[in-house]
Amino acid sequence: MNIPSIKVMLVDDHPMVQDGLSACLSFYDDIQIVGTCNDGSQALSTAQACQPDVILMDISMPTLNGLDATEIITEVLTDTKILIFSMHESAEFVTNAVQSGASGYILKDTNSEEVYQAIKSVAQGKAYFSSSIAKMLIDNPPTQASPRLTAREQMILSYIAKGQSSKAIAQTLDISFRTVEAHRRNIKSKLNIDSLAELVRYAVNQGLVDS
Amino acid sequence: MTFSFRIQLFAVTQVILTAFLTYFFVTNEYRDLSEQNVTALESFLLEQKQQELKNYTAIAKASIQHIYAGAAADDPVAQKQVADILSTLIYNGHDGYFFVYDDKGTNIVLPTEPYRVGQNYWDLRNEQGDPIIQILIDKAKSGGDFYRYPWNQPSTETVTEKLSFSDFLPKWGWMMGTGVYLDNVNQQLVTIQSAIDTHINNTRFIILFVAMSSIFVIFGIGAILHFTQKKENDKQIDQLGQKIVTLQEEEQRHISRELHDGIVQVLVSIKYSLEATCKHLGKHDIPKPQPLQQAQTNLSNAITEIRRISHHLHPRILDELGLSAAMEALAKEFTERTNIDVTITKPALSKLLPDHINTTLYRVVQEALMNIEKHAQATHTSIDLAIIDNWLTLTIKDNGVGMLKANLENPSESGIGTRNLAERVEYHRGQFMLTSSSKGTVMTAKIPRSAFAYHYTQQQIDNPTTETV
Repeated sequence: MNIPSIKVMLVDDHPMVQDGLSACLSFYDDIQIVGTCNDGSQALSTAQACQPDVILMDISMPTLNGLDATEIITEVLTDTKILIFSMHESAEFVTNAVQSGASGYILKDTNSEEVYQAIKSVAQGKAYFSSSIAKMLIDNPPTQASPRLTAREQMILSYIAKGQSSKAIAQTLDISFRTVEAHRRNIKSKLNIDSLAELVRYAVNQGLVDS
Repeated sequence: MTFSFRIQLFAVTQVILTAFLTYFFVTNEYRDLSEQNVTALESFLLEQKQQELKNYTAIAKASIQHIYAGAAADDPVAQKQVADILSTLIYNGHDGYFFVYDDKGTNIVLPTEPYRVGQNYWDLRNEQGDPIIQILIDKAKSGGDFYRYPWNQPSTETVTEKLSFSDFLPKWGWMMGTGVYLDNVNQQLVTIQSAIDTHINNTRFIILFVAMSSIFVIFGIGAILHFTQKKENDKQIDQLGQKIVTLQEEEQRHISRELHDGIVQVLVSIKYSLEATCKHLGKHDIPKPQPLQQAQTNLSNAITEIRRISHHLHPRILDELGLSAAMEALAKEFTERTNIDVTITKPALSKLLPDHINTTLYRVVQEALMNIEKHAQATHTSIDLAIIDNWLTLTIKDNGVGMLKANLENPSESGIGTRNLAERVEYHRGQFMLTSSSKGTVMTAKIPRSAFAYHYTQQQIDNPTTETV
């Protein structure tokens, strides 16, 4: 029994769900709940404090939803895997989750045995999707006809449009300069735009920032 | 009867009454005045004529004076001379002449009808039975006076009223007279009377015109006021209607959220507690009791059912992922159900729209897809969402057979009707268009960028935590 246990953190705005799930997972010896928090906006600091291997992340939460939180956490904690644990059963959520950097997606009515399996798979670096989700992805493979900016990219675009430099943005968001620059490149390639002036014009035209 | 209509009716009655009274009094006054005028004029004209006759008589007397003064009482030569002179005194064309009768009524001079000379007219009477010649002789004898009677007018050969002055030549017992026919006096009076009547008619017309135009103006202003008031009322009703719709959507959203994020989560927690119980029992080698199994199944059903209700009330995906994603989900569900292809184009950005616009546009897509399913017989549909030239434009097109406007305008049992949709879009300062032909139907909703441009930035300000994470 010397297998190192998987450190799991739960992010869910319903303490009762956390308690119920914790109770179930406590029966598995190789899983250890290292932290919980109730909102996406506290997820990063909690994760930084308890360094989990896997985060079980709910989507619908009061101030910052799980998908946006996922993007922010994976930016900083590259070794932490995120497993979305949500009530939403539609392909768009799954596609968005994958785009945000989640490694798996399970539904909240999944039984605890499967939750356990999912945590283990994700911890090993594999992707895991509930069977109904997997079926949905096979039936309707995500189309990438029009590239979509992620929430984080969109936020950075709005800062760029407001005239902030990459350095200033890095400071504001408390991320590295290189991450901002990477986002910037992604935004430009997704929107097929080369110059800063065009980026700004695009953001204003789309109503992202108030002109 | 509305209040404004009553006021109008009151005003119109007032105008009619005033016009009528004005007409009545003015006409009366006018008539009184004209009658006085005509009477005054008549007496003036008569006086003039009388003076004229006296003058003529004086001239005539002067012209026979030299014979009459020196003649004897019975002097046929002088009498013949005087008669001849008087016969030649003609004035006013043929109508002014002198006539002479002796005091027995025998005619002596009558230049216009000389065959009457020598005949006796003592008993000549007018229609009223007055003995004309006798009266003339009496008036002459009494010192000379005027008398009006009907007589044949030479110039017109008709019997007209005549005013004569008769004087007496006492030495011979002759009554000498001359007269004027009053037809032209009457003519003048009639002309004046008719001029006055014309004036009265004009006045009547002016009063009628003023009254009628007043009535028209009152009705016109009333109609304009009524129209603008109605427009204002309609606008308020529309706004109220939209407010109700917005409130209803808000309420549904709230309940949907409570169900999905509240009750369902509690049920999920119970589900895991039950599972934990099962595991606990398993650990102690106790078989899972049947009621527990039943509870778990029922619980799963309850969760599914509540999620279905929540989704039906308001799709949570709209709040969590924005309109594009919600449209995609709707389209996928639609394709699965109907086998009609849907292609979607959407902006690269998301969550740009405030909730109420999001919901409105989502309802547009929902209604459009429902109409296509019911009426279009289409094989392909496209949904385009793009922000171009200051407008967010949502276009839903199909390649079907077209639809009847009447089918679409009114709410069907499950839809909300395009008329209501149009009102909802216009409520956000947007435009709604629906065109349908045998080649398909196009539904377009446009929202000005100014209606949402502030939203994303505002969200960042409202949610400062997102920036610090």
